[in-house]
Amino acid sequence: MKSGCTFASVILALCLGCAVGHAGQTRAAQRPESYTEKISGTLVTFDMVGVPAGEIEIADPAKKGAARKVKVGPFWIGRTEVTWDEYDVFVFRLDEPVGVSSGSDAIAHPSKPYGAADRGFGHKGYPVINVSFHGAESYCKWLSAKTGRKYRLPTEAEWEYACRAGRPEPTRDKLEQFAWFWQEKTQPVGKKSPNAWGIHDMLGNVAEWAVGLDGRPVVCGGSWQDTAKDCTPTRRQHQQESWQANDPQSPKSKWWLSDGEFVGFRVLREP
Amino acid sequence: MDTRQKRDGTVRAMSRREFLKTSAVSAAAVIGSGALPFGAGAWAAGSDVIRVGVIGCGGRGTGAAKDCCHSTAGVKIVALGDLFKDRLDTCLSVLQTKLGEMCEVSSERCFTGFDNYKGVVDCGVDLVILTAPPGFRPIHFKYAVEAGKHVFMEKPVAVDAPGFRSVIAAGELAAQKNLGVVAGTQRRHSAEYRETIKRIHEGAIGEIIAAQCYWNQGGLWNHGRKPEWSDMEWQIRNWLYFTWLSGDHIVEQHVHNLDVINWVMGTHPVKALGMGGRQVRTDPAYGHIFDHFAVEYEYPNGARLMSMCRQIDGCATNMSERVAGTKGTSNCANWIRGATEWKFEGDNPRPYVQEHADLIASIRSGKPLNETRQVAESCMTAIMGRMSAYTGQEITWEMAVNSKEDLMPAKLEFGPLPTPPVAVPGKTPFI
Repeated sequence: MKSGCTFASVILALCLGCAVGHAGQTRAAQRPESYTEKISGTLVTFDMVGVPAGEIEIADPAKKGAARKVKVGPFWIGRTEVTWDEYDVFVFRLDEPVGVSSGSDAIAHPSKPYGAADRGFGHKGYPVINVSFHGAESYCKWLSAKTGRKYRLPTEAEWEYACRAGRPEPTRDKLEQFAWFWQEKTQPVGKKSPNAWGIHDMLGNVAEWAVGLDGRPVVCGGSWQDTAKDCTPTRRQHQQESWQANDPQSPKSKWWLSDGEFVGFRVLREP
Repeated sequence: MDTRQKRDGTVRAMSRREFLKTSAVSAAAVIGSGALPFGAGAWAAGSDVIRVGVIGCGGRGTGAAKDCCHSTAGVKIVALGDLFKDRLDTCLSVLQTKLGEMCEVSSERCFTGFDNYKGVVDCGVDLVILTAPPGFRPIHFKYAVEAGKHVFMEKPVAVDAPGFRSVIAAGELAAQKNLGVVAGTQRRHSAEYRETIKRIHEGAIGEIIAAQCYWNQGGLWNHGRKPEWSDMEWQIRNWLYFTWLSGDHIVEQHVHNLDVINWVMGTHPVKALGMGGRQVRTDPAYGHIFDHFAVEYEYPNGARLMSMCRQIDGCATNMSERVAGTKGTSNCANWIRGATEWKFEGDNPRPYVQEHADLIASIRSGKPLNETRQVAESCMTAIMGRMSAYTGQEITWEMAVNSKEDLMPAKLEFGPLPTPPVAVPGKTPFI
């Protein structure tokens, strides 16, 4: 599934010229300050990048051929995709002292994955894969409860806005500089050049869960499996049966996609 | 006749006329082969549909029932059996939702308790899906075959040598009765694996001299003990962690990979030298099984297989096979490198559905598949590896298949049942 770039124009309510290179100057105050979050009880940290408020025109999932202008931000978004380092803390409760399980914890934790959820692609520093929308969303809830800050999945408008970072999308010949695509497997996060706001791997490596304008779970952007033409800010996929084809159980796992080795996510934080 | 699932997931409806045509073929084949008038022909005469009973209504049993119905037109789930009523009820409600009219299970055809399998087999089904914990498989399989039922059975099919011998005998009886038997070693029904291994058998990598296979993953689920559960109930609900029920994870999971290597080699190994232990997952909630094994197997041609399997969180994962021959290597699944450079391209229909499609098509054609020996030998391969790792001794195939160790508890009833001791290499005896 792919869509064209017809509605790709980004209209920044702020000025186009005030992106990352000029941060700290005139309008820097309107861009939340980037920071590093620490998952307490562990040594795991991750970086959040401040994104200024603005407006974006994106394809309307409800009406083919139509576009919608959406106001977004300001917010923070993960500098990289969520890695196994972070997700393992959630799955295996690595933040809790050994032998102590916090019974009062109201947020469900994932079941242990059957088989190799990381596919043997790489673990430390590699993006989470095979994770369901429910898993990604639950991670955000858990992280919010843990940190006291409002983490959630981005909407597709926020995702595309952060992906474009107020710039034209990279041409095919420049794409390699920014994105992992047409690979044998996932790659460590944050190794390619970031976009103009300092955010890595929006276009490739793993496609990312977001909440669609229509409220449905949607996966944005391309992945390591895709060729360049599918590695765009407008790429959208909805979950298909084939993403769990080799889950032999019924009901199938609500936490894991047995065949979703191209699906991950990143977190967004509201002010 | 096209009985396969179409790519879009729909199945072709089969008319009564088509069905009778194929049934006639089956009946003729049975008579022609001089076999007893059970099996393929017997059910076809009286009914339009294949009536399926499920014995073991957990997640896999429920999934297999769905896969079976989706594989082929003219299949209905008509009976369910499980030791526990709560598991049966959940399965029934999922199947009613997901299968609609293909699920025709009335309350008179729901059976619970240790004898549930007898109820299912004896209530007028044509085919049974055996998906209870593996320790029960030999009992269920024997009873189903003696009653003339076709069988789909999940792996593993045995957890000890007496179980292996019983399954082999029942498989031979199934052949005499012209009954279909397909096992849940689904790689055997994967287009990718079949194409690759066909080429290996044709000599694409020369003579095989070495192999490796792996099932290294993290830990699995555990149902915390409830106060009202007896030892027996607690163990069966957590069957993964007790050797009499699962065979240990080398049998329960790693059998898939060992089966692929046996398939490639065309036979089972002649001996095993293994080691393993219970190093990290030591809580009594996890019964008495090991959390890692490494076993070297030797095949009749001298080729060695290095096999490892692990269930420890936070470690490197790998679930795959690899074979090396005199002219190249292959992952057995979709590529060959060396003298031949080849990569699988094409459709790979979901093997979990394909295995049922193949079984039912073979029954209807009057030439039923019988996979009993291949799956039983692969399970025995895993059991031989476990025996070696548990005892610390080198175990030959002859020793393994003639082992007297019967893991089944003396009495199958809810009540006290101590957890067996954890095996200690060098001290645990070979029996």
